[in-house]
Amino acid sequence: MIPIEVYLIFAAVLFAIGAYGVAVKSNTIVVLMCIELMLNAANINFIVFSAFTTDVLGQVFVIMSISVAAAEVAVGIAILLNAYKIKNTIEADSLTSMRW
Amino acid sequence: MFIEYTWLVPLVPVLCFVAIGFLGKKMPEGGGPLAVFGALFACVLSVLISYEFFTSSAYADPGYVTAQITWFSIGSFDINIGYYIDSLSCLVMMFASFISTLIFVYSIGYMHGEGAKKRRYYAQVSLFLTGMLGLAISSNFLEMFVFWEAMGLCSYLLIGFWGFDHPKGDDATDVAASAAKKAFLVTRLGDVCLMGGMFVLLYEFGSLDYAAVFDASAMAAVDPSMIMLGSLLIFGGVIGKSAQFPLLDWLPDAMAGPTTVSALIHAATMVKAGVFLVARCFPLFTQNPEVMLFVGVIGGITAFFAATMALNNMNIKKVLAYSTLSQLGYMFLALGAGGYMMALGMQTHDHHLMAIGAIGYTAGCLHMVNHAFFKALLFLGSGSVIHSTGTEDMREMGGLHGKMKITSITMLIGSLSIAGFPFFSGFWSKELVLETVMHAGDYGAEGYLFTIMWILAIVTAFMTAFYMFRMWFMTFKGKPGHGTEHCHGESPKSMTVPLIILAPFAAALGAILLFGFDEYVTIGINHVGEFQLGSGHGHGLEGWLEDIFMSIYTYLTIALVLAAIGIAYFMYSKMSVDPGKLNKNGSSMIYRALSNRWWFPQLYDQIGWKLGNGVARGVEFVDTQVVDGTVNALSSAVAGSGDSIGKMQTGNMRDYAAVVMFGIVSLFAVMLVLFYFMGGA
Repeated sequence: MIPIEVYLIFAAVLFAIGAYGVAVKSNTIVVLMCIELMLNAANINFIVFSAFTTDVLGQVFVIMSISVAAAEVAVGIAILLNAYKIKNTIEADSLTSMRW
Repeated sequence: MFIEYTWLVPLVPVLCFVAIGFLGKKMPEGGGPLAVFGALFACVLSVLISYEFFTSSAYADPGYVTAQITWFSIGSFDINIGYYIDSLSCLVMMFASFISTLIFVYSIGYMHGEGAKKRRYYAQVSLFLTGMLGLAISSNFLEMFVFWEAMGLCSYLLIGFWGFDHPKGDDATDVAASAAKKAFLVTRLGDVCLMGGMFVLLYEFGSLDYAAVFDASAMAAVDPSMIMLGSLLIFGGVIGKSAQFPLLDWLPDAMAGPTTVSALIHAATMVKAGVFLVARCFPLFTQNPEVMLFVGVIGGITAFFAATMALNNMNIKKVLAYSTLSQLGYMFLALGAGGYMMALGMQTHDHHLMAIGAIGYTAGCLHMVNHAFFKALLFLGSGSVIHSTGTEDMREMGGLHGKMKITSITMLIGSLSIAGFPFFSGFWSKELVLETVMHAGDYGAEGYLFTIMWILAIVTAFMTAFYMFRMWFMTFKGKPGHGTEHCHGESPKSMTVPLIILAPFAAALGAILLFGFDEYVTIGINHVGEFQLGSGHGHGLEGWLEDIFMSIYTYLTIALVLAAIGIAYFMYSKMSVDPGKLNKNGSSMIYRALSNRWWFPQLYDQIGWKLGNGVARGVEFVDTQVVDGTVNALSSAVAGSGDSIGKMQTGNMRDYAAVVMFGIVSLFAVMLVLFYFMGGA
């Protein structure tokens, strides 16, 4: 049986990749995808702990989380579409008008 | 029956003020007759109220009638508004309204040529009278203060009556305007003291009602040093209002107003308010002999200094102004000396001493009434002279007796009365004043001060007789001047009739009051240990005559007065003695000191410039540097830090994400370290 540490390290690496992408990527579609990566890293942790403790509550949580993530992506894509209509670009560096 | 309607006494003149103010242009003589009606109404009602009060049972016990409603409440302090009638209010009410009536009648003639400005004049004098009458009937200190301030305002307005367009040109306009400002500001200085005194009383007594404050048990329960502080502060207000030393300089300047206004201020209202207040606060002031000593000494110094300044003044109105100051000084001297003995008598339970002290009160009040009549007469007479000669300079008058017989003779009566010529009004009250002050010198550790004041007062009596007759001889006798040639005969009837009415009062009222009504003008401790005005035991005719004529000093004063009149006669009527020789034709030191008013105006200016300017500079420094500096530093610190911190908001999403992640990572690091060291799970 694969030990739990492997799963956890995998999830941590996935999260780190997502975080790195959010921090450095300028394409907002990629940023959104990276956010999904981080979310799924958390989901993996839920499932792993659920499986190793034989408690189904974790898996229920993941179902919930996936449906919320779907809604969130829909909203995110909608915002990006509108931003593209106005600015003609979705580069994160050019979307800086919401400041002082 | 009439006492319940006391509130009408000030109300009717104030209604006249409103009516004349709005509708005066359409009334004949700018509303003058309405003003006369208001004053006359107040006068008649005052007499009826006084008659009812003196015949009522309240007069014998407790000596006053009061009724009031709550004006407003602050916390547990109730401030009332109402009336308080006792023999003092009756006295002041009657003489103020009576003299004002005559002055208003006189004004119709005197102000006839003023055109549209008459409306303003009559409205303001009506308000002025309201102030005095309201002051007299007030039932508490705050109500009194409101009317006190109303008078201050009216004095400002009326002294500056010609301030905008003086008949004698721009210079005179400036003079009138600055005299009005001076009067207002100087009296204001006193008013601040008076307010302070009221705060002390309110704090100590929890009430400003006369009935509550003058209650013997209430006064006994209060710390005497606080009563002393309150009394002295109240007297500070009196010093400003009654133009006592050292705030005496505004009154001579106030002569810039119309002569009728001077008469009103000097005889019926304004400066008498101060005397009234001291007499009203007599129970309070007598709690400490030191307070009364202070009152007396201020009065004595004022009496002396003001009289010296009148000696060489060439302006007929200014001579009268100085004489007012001097006579007011007499009143305060009498009240102070009487109160001093009364206070000592109360401390030692010496009833004889208290009885002598009460004479001081009687003397002060009687002198107030007598002075009101002869000073009104003198001012109205001088107004008549100025009206017909067109000048106020006595050197340009002279020999007017032949042209203005009525004015001349009535003014002679007034001069005899103020000079204290035997058997005229002023004689009786002045003798009583001098006698009280002389007695006060025999008691207490500081009594010797009153002996000094007594000597000053006797010298003052001599000077008074001299300058009054100098004025009369220079005006009506001697060589005719330019003004005399310009004179077109006697003034109109509306001016001479008030003079003729006032003359017998000025001549005989003192004797009538003293011999017939002295028991109404007394103060004493009644059977329940409270102060009570009136219903004392009159000395009666024989008592007073014995008092006055058994004293050798009375004959000394009479001799001095006669000598002074004689000197004035030889100097200014017969011209056999040249006054120029005495003062080296106006170059001697003392002559210049007197004509410069002992450099009082310069002293004020110096204090104003050096002290006021210094204080103002200091305050300005604090304001611009400390206060503004603090505020500016705070605001620029906030703005600057906001500016620099605001740079962190780049608007770049990835920066925010990085910051958030950095925060989370640091948080975890801190928690790990904590767990490691604290040994947590």
